[in-house]
Amino acid sequence: MTRTTSSAALALLQRYFLLLLFAAVVVGFSIKLPDSFATVLNFRNIVGNQAVLAILSLSAIIPLVGGQFDLSVGSTLGLTSIATASLLSRFSAPLWVAVLAGPALGATIGWLNGLLIARLGLNSLITTLAVATVIVGFISWYTEGVSILTGIPTALTDMGSNLWLGLPRPLYLLGAVALLVWYLLDHTPYGRYLQAVGSNPNAARLVGLDVGRITVLSFVISGSITGFAGVLQVARDGGANPQTGGSIALPVLAVAFLGVTSIHPGRFNVPGTLLAVFFLATTVSGLSLVGVDNWVESAFNGAALLTAVALSTLVGRRRAGA
Amino acid sequence: MEASPSSDRDLVLRVRGIAKTFPGTRALDGVSLDMRRGEIHALIGTNGSGKSTLIKILAGIYAPDAGGEIAVNGTPLGPGALTPAKAKEVGLHFVHQVPAVFPMLSVTENIAIGRGFLTGPSGRIRWAEQRARTARILERFHIHGTPDMPAGLLGPADRTLVVIARALQDLDGAHGGVLILDEPTASLPGPEVDRLLDTLRKYADQGQAILYVTHRLDEVLRATQRVTALRDGRNVGTVATAGMDQSKLVSLMLGHAVDRERRQDAYVPTDDPPVLAARSLAGGAVAGASFEVGRHEVLGIAGLIGSGAADVQRLLYGTLPMTSGEVVLDGRPFRPEGPRAAIAAGVAYLPPDRAHEAEFPALSLRANLTAGRMERYFRGQRLRHDAERSDARVLIKRFFIRASSTEQTQSTLSGGNQQKAILARCLRDQPKLLLLDEPTQGVDVHARIEIHKLLREAAQGNTAVLVVSSDFEELASLCDRVVAMVRGRIVGEVKPPSLDSHRLTELAHFAAESA
Repeated sequence: MTRTTSSAALALLQRYFLLLLFAAVVVGFSIKLPDSFATVLNFRNIVGNQAVLAILSLSAIIPLVGGQFDLSVGSTLGLTSIATASLLSRFSAPLWVAVLAGPALGATIGWLNGLLIARLGLNSLITTLAVATVIVGFISWYTEGVSILTGIPTALTDMGSNLWLGLPRPLYLLGAVALLVWYLLDHTPYGRYLQAVGSNPNAARLVGLDVGRITVLSFVISGSITGFAGVLQVARDGGANPQTGGSIALPVLAVAFLGVTSIHPGRFNVPGTLLAVFFLATTVSGLSLVGVDNWVESAFNGAALLTAVALSTLVGRRRAGA
Repeated sequence: MEASPSSDRDLVLRVRGIAKTFPGTRALDGVSLDMRRGEIHALIGTNGSGKSTLIKILAGIYAPDAGGEIAVNGTPLGPGALTPAKAKEVGLHFVHQVPAVFPMLSVTENIAIGRGFLTGPSGRIRWAEQRARTARILERFHIHGTPDMPAGLLGPADRTLVVIARALQDLDGAHGGVLILDEPTASLPGPEVDRLLDTLRKYADQGQAILYVTHRLDEVLRATQRVTALRDGRNVGTVATAGMDQSKLVSLMLGHAVDRERRQDAYVPTDDPPVLAARSLAGGAVAGASFEVGRHEVLGIAGLIGSGAADVQRLLYGTLPMTSGEVVLDGRPFRPEGPRAAIAAGVAYLPPDRAHEAEFPALSLRANLTAGRMERYFRGQRLRHDAERSDARVLIKRFFIRASSTEQTQSTLSGGNQQKAILARCLRDQPKLLLLDEPTQGVDVHARIEIHKLLREAAQGNTAVLVVSSDFEELASLCDRVVAMVRGRIVGEVKPPSLDSHRLTELAHFAAESA
C-alpha cells in the first residue's frame, strides 16, 4: 500500500509544513543577523508586541469555527482599550473595575453582533463591518482624536512590560488565553457543537442543536477575549490611542486562515493559529532588520493571507476527495 | 420498434443502441428512441430505470459508451461529440423540474438572459425594441404576462413557459430540434398542470417535438401521442398512447416480474397501543391525514413529489408547524415545537437530502456519529475522547460502515457508508419512532440491502418506523403496511399479500382523479 504510505507522509508534511518554514526563517535570519535578529531582546520584542495580535486571532477563530466572520475585532480592541484607560484616567475607577470593564464591553458588542447575525440572519461580513464602522465613529467622537496617556497605574503597565522568569508577562497571558480557547474548542461539548454548526448549520439544527444560541455565544466569548486584549493593549502602551486596532482585522484574518493550513489541517485550531502569528511576526521582524522598508509588512501580510486562503481551500478540496 | 423509412424527413431525434456503464452498474443498455416533428413523446420509468441517465447523455453531461448512435435532424453525433454547448447548438433544449427563473427580474430580462440583449452602438440596451420583442414572444408562446412585470409574479405554469420561450425564441415559428421537459409538473397545482399541457399541445401542433419525462401517468394519457418506457436501463417498449390505459402503462413500466425482494413474513399486529397515532394531521402539503404506526411495525407512505408524504415527516419532527390535528406518541399528546423537542420525545429523523440536511461533510466519521450528543462524553470538566471513539467503533461495526478509521472525513466515504453513518446516528439511542425519507437514495444495491436489514432489526427492537419513499419497490420490500398519499390525503392502504409496487404505483399515480 505505497499510496497510503505516501499520502500519510504527505499529510504529515502538510501538518508541519508551516513549522518547518518557521524554523527555516529563524535559522536563516539568525545566521545572517546574529547580532540583531538572534538576540534575547529581539525575541522579547516579538513576543511582547505580538501578544495582543495573537490573542485577537485566537478570539477571531471562535466565530470562524462556527462559520462566521468577525471584522469588528480591531475596533472592539480599540473601544475596550479606550474604555479601560478612560475609566482609570478620567473616572479614577478602581483597577479591578477597569480590568473587568474591557471584557464586559467586548462581550456586549459580541452579543450585539451575534443577535444581528444569528437572530436576524444578516451576513456576518457586512454586519461586523458596519458595527466596526459605528464603533470607530464613536471612538473618535468620544476621544476627539486624542490619546489617553495619564493616570494608568503602574500595576497595570507592569503587566505589559515586565518579565516573569525572563519572559515577557504578556506571553503568560497569551498562554492562558490559548489554553482557554483550546479547551473550549476541543474539550467541551460546546466546541464540538460549534464545529458542527460551522460544517452544516441545517444538519446541526436537525440533530437538535440550538444553532442561534450557539452562534450568539461564539460572538460573546470572542468579544470578551477581544476585550481582554484591549486591557492588555493599555498595559503595553501605558495608555490608549484612538487609532488602535484600526487596521488589525486583516492581519488577524491572515493569521487565522494561515493557521488552518497546519497542525490540524482543514480546521481553525489553536496551535496552528499561534504558529501563524509568530511565523508572520518573525519573518517581518527579520525582513525589517535586514533593512527592507516598512511597506513590506503590509504586502507580506496580504500575500500570506492570499496564500493561506488558497492553500486551505485546496487542502479542503483534497480532504473532501474531490 | 416502429421506425418507418417514410417518416425520415420528420425524424428530429434518432437514438440507437445507447449504453452507459458506471463503475459497478450498467445504467443504460442499448436504448433506442425516435422523436418526430410535432409529437409529444412521454418517457416513463421507475427510479433507477435510466431515465435521468438518458437525459444527461442527451444534454451532453455524460458521454455514452462507444457503439451507440445519436442523430439530431439527420446529423450523427458520435460518442463524446455531444457536449452541453453542442446539444444547445443542434437544438436539444432542456427545462428542468424547478424552472430557472429570476423572480426579481422582469419577464423581458428573463427571456433575454442567456441569449443576449439588443444593444445600440454604445452598448446600451435598446429597451423599447427589447420590450416589443418580448411582447411578440409572449404572444407566440401563449404566456399570460407582460414584458415589464417581475417574473416572480407569473403563475407557476407561465414560469415554466418563460423558460421554454427563452430556449426556443430564436426559432421564430419554425419549431426545430427537441424540447425536453423533465418532470415539469411535479410541483404544479392541478389547474396549472392543465394550462401547461394545453400550451405544450399548441407548440406541438406548430411542429415542435417534445420529450416529456414524467412520473404522472395520467398526464401521459392526456397529453402525449407516444410513450417509451425504460426499465433497468433497457427500452421495454415504445407504443402509441391512444391504445393505453392506466394499468397497461403500469405494466409497461414495471413489467410482469415480481419485486426483487418481497416481504414474506407477515407482520403480526400486537395488542399494545400504537406507538404513533395521528388524527387529521394537517400542515404544509398535508391536508388531514390519519394513520397509526404499531409497535414493531414498519409503515410506508407512498407518494409522489408534492403529495405531502415528505411533509408528514417534517410535521412530526417539528420543522414544519402543525396547523391542525392531533398526534399521540407512546400514549402522550405530541406536538413538537422543533427538532429538539421531537428528539427529547424519542423521535429520530433521516432527511432526504443527505448533503444539505444530514451530514457534516468536513468533519470526521466519528463526529458525524456523535453529533448533537456530546454532553454524555463530558465528564470531570473535559471531553472523554476515548469513550467517544470507542462508541464510534461500536457503531461502525454494528451498522456495517466501511471506513479506514473513526477519523476518516465523512465526505470521503462512499454514498452507502455515509448513509449508514447517518442511520447509525439516528438509531444509536433507540428512538421510539424513526422517520425516514428516501432512506436509500444515492446508495448502491449492497448497502441498500444492509440498510433494509438494519431497519427491520430496529423495528423488531423497540423502534417504530415510518418511511416515505418514491421508490415503491423499496416500500413493498421494506414495509409491513403502506398507505398511499395523494394531495395531502391518505387514499388507500395496502398490506401483504397484495402489497407490491404495481398496487402502490396505481394508488399513488391515479388516486388523484378519484380523490
